Amino acid sequence: MKRQRRLAGLGAGLALVTLAACSTGSGTGTTSVPPSPTTKVTGTVEFWHFFTNREAAAIQSAVSDFEAKYPGIKVNVRGGQDDEKMLKAIAAGQPIDLALSSTTDRAGKFCQSGSFKDLKGYIDRDKLDLTQFPQAALDYTQFNGVRCTLPMLSDVYALYYNKAMLTAAGITEPPKTLSDLTADAKKLTVLNPDGSIKVAGFVPLMGFYENAPAHFAPAYGSKWLNADATSAIGGDPTWQEMAKWQKDLVDYYGLSKITKFVAGMGEEFSPDNAFEKGKIAMAIDGEYRSAFVQAEAPSLQYGTAPFPTGDQHTDLFGGGYVTGNIIGIGKGSQNPEAAWLLMKYLTTDTDAMVKLANSIKNIPTTKAALASPNLQADENYKTFLAVFGNPHSSTTPSSPTGSQYQDTMADFFTKWQEGKVSDIDAALKEVDKTINDALALATGP
Amino acid sequence: MTTALAPGRAVAVSAPLRAKRRRHRLTVLAFLSPWLLGLLIFFVYPLLATVYYSFTRFDLVTPAHWIGLRNYEFFFTKDPKVWQAVRNTLWLVVILVPARMIFGLGVSMILTTVKRGGGLFRTLFFLPALAPPVAATLAFVFMFNPATGPVNVGLKAIGIEGPLWFNDPAWAKPALVLLGLWGIGDLMIIFLASLLDVPREQYEAASLDGANSFQRFRFVTFPNITPVLTFGAVTGVIAALQYFTEASVAATVASGKANVGEGIGSTLGYPDGSTLTYPQWLFVKGFSDYALGYASALAVLLFAVSVVFTVFLLRRAHAFTPSEESLR
Amino acid sequence: MTAETMALPRTTASEVPPRSRRYRRESLLAFVSRWCVVIALSVIFMGPVVFIALTAVMSNDQALTSELWPHSWHWDNFATVFQKAPLVRYFANTLLYATLSTALMLLSSIPAAYAMARLRWKGRNLAFLAVLTMMMLPPQVTVVPIYVLWSDLHLTGSLWPLILPNLLGDAFSIFLLRQFFLTIPQDYADAARIDGCGEFAVMRRVILPMAKPGIAATAMFSFFFAWNDFYGPLLYTSENPDQWTVSLGLASFKGLYQVQWNLTMAMTLLVMVPVVVVFFLAQKSFVEGVTLTGVKG
Repeated sequence: MKRQRRLAGLGAGLALVTLAACSTGSGTGTTSVPPSPTTKVTGTVEFWHFFTNREAAAIQSAVSDFEAKYPGIKVNVRGGQDDEKMLKAIAAGQPIDLALSSTTDRAGKFCQSGSFKDLKGYIDRDKLDLTQFPQAALDYTQFNGVRCTLPMLSDVYALYYNKAMLTAAGITEPPKTLSDLTADAKKLTVLNPDGSIKVAGFVPLMGFYENAPAHFAPAYGSKWLNADATSAIGGDPTWQEMAKWQKDLVDYYGLSKITKFVAGMGEEFSPDNAFEKGKIAMAIDGEYRSAFVQAEAPSLQYGTAPFPTGDQHTDLFGGGYVTGNIIGIGKGSQNPEAAWLLMKYLTTDTDAMVKLANSIKNIPTTKAALASPNLQADENYKTFLAVFGNPHSSTTPSSPTGSQYQDTMADFFTKWQEGKVSDIDAALKEVDKTINDALALATGP
Repeated sequence: MTTALAPGRAVAVSAPLRAKRRRHRLTVLAFLSPWLLGLLIFFVYPLLATVYYSFTRFDLVTPAHWIGLRNYEFFFTKDPKVWQAVRNTLWLVVILVPARMIFGLGVSMILTTVKRGGGLFRTLFFLPALAPPVAATLAFVFMFNPATGPVNVGLKAIGIEGPLWFNDPAWAKPALVLLGLWGIGDLMIIFLASLLDVPREQYEAASLDGANSFQRFRFVTFPNITPVLTFGAVTGVIAALQYFTEASVAATVASGKANVGEGIGSTLGYPDGSTLTYPQWLFVKGFSDYALGYASALAVLLFAVSVVFTVFLLRRAHAFTPSEESLR
Repeated sequence: MTAETMALPRTTASEVPPRSRRYRRESLLAFVSRWCVVIALSVIFMGPVVFIALTAVMSNDQALTSELWPHSWHWDNFATVFQKAPLVRYFANTLLYATLSTALMLLSSIPAAYAMARLRWKGRNLAFLAVLTMMMLPPQVTVVPIYVLWSDLHLTGSLWPLILPNLLGDAFSIFLLRQFFLTIPQDYADAARIDGCGEFAVMRRVILPMAKPGIAATAMFSFFFAWNDFYGPLLYTSENPDQWTVSLGLASFKGLYQVQWNLTMAMTLLVMVPVVVVFFLAQKSFVEGVTLTGVKG
């Protein structure tokens, strides 16, 4: 299950060359790779991933296929492991062979510290064709020239809307700009007799479900980091446009009223999800949501469209936020050969990838799987495939401080939506300083 | 700590006595050895190591790298959140501790006046203190849920629009105080025992002198229970400096972002850092960001502050060691 | 629950000393207002438990509304909790943690406390000062090197880093036990010594039997601490759900299994029950212990 995956690195490739000069510790995973095993690879693979419940079952099924194909290998799967726990386990030297992370945020940390092994030796030895992955996915899975992960499925964000509600409000097509979205949200909002919210057209609160600065950034083409991983936020006026749009809608509802409304909602990844329950008419969410709807609220009449853009940025329409799952071999792996086999299977086997994509509705990360006729692409899935392929789609850059820069921005938005920011220029300059200070502490001499 | 006797005296004593003393020393050492080892491994060494790590950059994967005072410089001039964490922790010391003291004293004083059913009410009032902190916090976050919780439903029934409690930066800490008051039982029992120990004759004498009830409290009750009040205040402060569990659970659950995907580190402090305590920030820095060097610097500073309180308490050690005399 | 359930060690409820005639005749107003306060306090202290229980048996849909009385009674929620989360495993882990650490603590702390209370040696006061200091310093002060230590031993991801240190004494327990030992008259021990008993025999045969209530209270504190501990298991076992304790499982339950308030409250109730049961079984020594932590001067 993914939430709020933040940084990734469409821009990572170009951003990080300059970092080499000041980074400490290089990838320690560059151990010599043994020659191709002459005998059959056997043994146990300890495989950690972050999926839970229904999605974990899909992963288990893919793993079972693998075990059937390589009878000598047994895979111990452990789901529900977020990055924090994974990093903890690897740092403490627990023998994790293979780890799947829901976000590209920490690719930089994983590769730079050597938490994940450098895959170069394996890739060269087995002549793995890297061109089968889309370029963006190749970028966000390496750091500073060290490739310690491969992409395994990706997530794309777009607008979900409740068709019945839009029709009832006389709205014929989903909004294309954020002003339209605000106007539609107002029309779609229904109040209770006591003035509290019954149905919200669109919940603008940052931190709610999938609302995150990272997920809105492509709508304005907002820039996160400079090439040297220092903050570009204060110097990019589009962040202020985003902040103003967001705050206007918060103020329309009233902070306390909308906070109260949100506090009464069901959990995001439960059948009581507010969109699935018809408590919100529009939402930003990932492609996986359609699989949840199918499983939990099959009668919901909904549509999907690229997320609206800022009013001044209509040229960006069609793009959206893209991120991916990344998979790597832990530095303490006891059985790297078997782990590598499973990794290759999960990341490059077309059948496996298509099967996973069909069951959890994620976007495949090989060109062959994307083109596979077996990929079940309904109307909604096509929206996400199109956003995935759109040149205006973007992800969050990789940084040696992981997701720290996004956390800082999220903190800014918390204060901002509460109305505690009087001088937005100064506040964003402060964000720059915080990000840069943290970077300096993490990478300085 | 040495168990050796003064050498000067040892010379003068006879051989059998010396042997006896040596045996005694060995006995003492045998009794103490597990604890002495524990003192070294889990206290002395970590204290020194913390100081060392505080001058390094250290992420557990790559070796510690000496960076001098930069962690401290970051603490004092650059850390965007640490002062908020310091303020929150101080807030707890200044508000939560006295609130618990006053409430605990009030409840126990009322209990001293209840004759019929006193045991029952004591039990009722004490029970919440037994609730595991995680369970108690969850229950409170549920009760104070602004949309569906019984507290705001009840307030609304009497015409008051309740605050957002754990979802409002201004109300999250007060809500935690209410949670602390609910679990007053432990303090209440201590106070109650002490109140019942006040010699009856002193009250009677005071009454004969015409003292009113406030004067009786001021001049009879209060002096008698001062040691227990001191104890309650100091242990309360120590607990406030470590405040972690309740704030963590309240923040993760109220934020609705509990635990999947990103770990606990990113939700602590919700809403708007208002519940972020110092130990939590240390935890985030150390075990979510893996900036263990910086976390060590935070620990060193926490140590410095705690020592002040500890020394204060030890100065009043007689409150702890009432029967030193009985050793004779 | 009987009326006498919580007897205090020194003065039991029925023996609240009679006050002088003058203030036994209280006015009706004082009587009524006192009882109003007592009843209001009872409601405040017990109300949350009632709401937890009511919510625990609600349907999913109702748990998302603000209606407080269950429309229909879903007793199966308690069973559902066990299906959703490996609650049995959480309980087993917690029991293991609490029992082992308590047993090891007693083994190592009783002799140390005995030496500090009953033996005369140079540096004893200093040692006791060290105990007090260890007891009072926040555990976060030393957490980094200790974590590194356990990770070098590859024991993170398990509960052992929380259990094993008890083998080397626990400051709070040593403090508490020492306080109990001090209350036992020295004469008994002296008599035994004259009979030729070694110190170990004196401790085992004379002091320990007399300090049983104190040892029981200390053991209960240790047990409850481990049972309720959140910080320790979070630090050492968060990445390994097989080792989670009930506190950790409960804190993650709502988010991890994406459940609503009804199931969360059902699990909350299930976690509270064992503690309350243990309390009623052993409340006398427990209350004695609580009282003794705040020893009166």
